[in-house]
Amino acid sequence: MTNIAVLTAYVIVLSLYVNLGIALYGIFARPSLVKKLIAITILSDTANAFAVLVGYRWPRNALPKPPVIPELPVTRRVLEEYTSSAVDPLPQALVLTAIVIGLAITLFIAFIIIQYYRLYGTVDVRKVRRI
Amino acid sequence: MIVVLEVFTLALLTLFALTSVVAAYLAIRERDLVRAVVFSAIQSSMYALIYYVLMAPDIVLVYIPVSVGLIPAVLLFVIKKTERYEGE
Repeated sequence: MTNIAVLTAYVIVLSLYVNLGIALYGIFARPSLVKKLIAITILSDTANAFAVLVGYRWPRNALPKPPVIPELPVTRRVLEEYTSSAVDPLPQALVLTAIVIGLAITLFIAFIIIQYYRLYGTVDVRKVRRI
Repeated sequence: MIVVLEVFTLALLTLFALTSVVAAYLAIRERDLVRAVVFSAIQSSMYALIYYVLMAPDIVLVYIPVSVGLIPAVLLFVIKKTERYEGE
């Protein structure tokens, strides 16, 4: 049972690495600038997924919980239960910020691509090299 | 009981991760950019499910409107303003 769990965890991490490789291939080798932008979004999402995966943990004899305290009078018992069973909230806060910053960067690159098309008449980098 | 839930969580994560790999490969290899955007949205929704299984519901609430709704809309706008097919 434990061997199967470890093997499955390796499969998950390896598939995220494969996504990283696919995104890097798209950024470096595909000619269209819009395809490069799609590859950049895949790359940043994969980095965020790695961060969240690092913060995940499985507590002993309990189920993992999201890092939220739902009860308002925070007593010592509630805090002990929270710290013993919740996942790490720090990578989640970082990823939440990174998603919004990634949206801003994507919008900026999108309008740069539109201006590029107005100047050169194409978004193919091989044709622009010839001009 | 807890062991069964752990195996179930790992199986769900593996399923979503492998589906996202297939969707990302199709998104990069596709020459029609509109279909590439659709495959990229499928990959993003798989990542949203991965975040949900990894106990991050607040990230899911931000990630689904941003990465399945807003970014494909912006990319479709860019494709409408420029070329639809790659490598003509």
